[in-house]
Amino acid sequence: MESVRVGQPVPPVAFTPDEVTLLRFGAVTRNTHRIHYDTAFARSEGLAGPVVMAQLHGCLFHRAAAGFAGGTGRVREVAWQNRAPAHAGDRLEVTGTVRAVDPVRGEVTLDLVEHCGPADGEGPGSVCCRGHAVVVLL
Amino acid sequence: MAAELDLAEERARASIGRQERRPLGVVRAEDAAEFARTSGETQPHLTDPGHSRFTVHPMYLVSLLRPAPGPGPDEVRPDGMYRDEVPGTDGLDVRLMAGGQEVRWKDEVRAGDAVDVLRALTAVERKGSGDGFLLLTVEKTYRAARGVLVEVSERFIVR
Repeated sequence: MESVRVGQPVPPVAFTPDEVTLLRFGAVTRNTHRIHYDTAFARSEGLAGPVVMAQLHGCLFHRAAAGFAGGTGRVREVAWQNRAPAHAGDRLEVTGTVRAVDPVRGEVTLDLVEHCGPADGEGPGSVCCRGHAVVVLL
Repeated sequence: MAAELDLAEERARASIGRQERRPLGVVRAEDAAEFARTSGETQPHLTDPGHSRFTVHPMYLVSLLRPAPGPGPDEVRPDGMYRDEVPGTDGLDVRLMAGGQEVRWKDEVRAGDAVDVLRALTAVERKGSGDGFLLLTVEKTYRAARGVLVEVSERFIVR
């Protein structure tokens, strides 16, 4: 806790979910919304193709926060807002920095952002989610 | 489409504060492990149900839309979404998107927990230009016999 400073970077987390990943994730969560697996339907809704589930974005935000908290800390809160759709095959990367440190409560607030773009593309891609997390360091 | 969006807004506003309870069944370690694997986790305590420190992935419960054995054919809209998932939209030709969530953990979710979720629509906002879109906020509380496990504020976009 003493070593945590405002502005300190959060170790990045990356994941590239393909169509199979989205189908499996939808099956295990019983998410049957066709925008996640039906290309023609997704395009009829104005999307470029099947899109990543909100909860999968949340998993990456949680993983980034849990990684920062380490084995003895815990994640108390994660929040994210969807800013743009991420598509099957996109590389997703969550990065962040420490926003605030509360030594009395043992809590650290992290600002987090997720970029998405083609897995073989250059640069971080575009912002698809922004959010924050609160971790408790024991 | 504008008339349908207007009707969705009218219905949603009329249902603000109405609470519903939805059983989510018993949390199974195997399902939580599969969830962890599909979300890209590699840590054995999340992906191996036989691990000595196995832990239900914290995002599993709040990502689960329905318990086994899943929905009947009359519970799903033509777009594949559950008819009652987004308040006010049942039977309407409107487009649904997730807007984001705030998840607050109150207690650890354990394999074997029998869970239900209390849901209530708490806010309806009309945003954007032209016909615009609806931003709905739903508050959810996940409970087991020993108390509250997780609280969630979830936002849906209706166009």
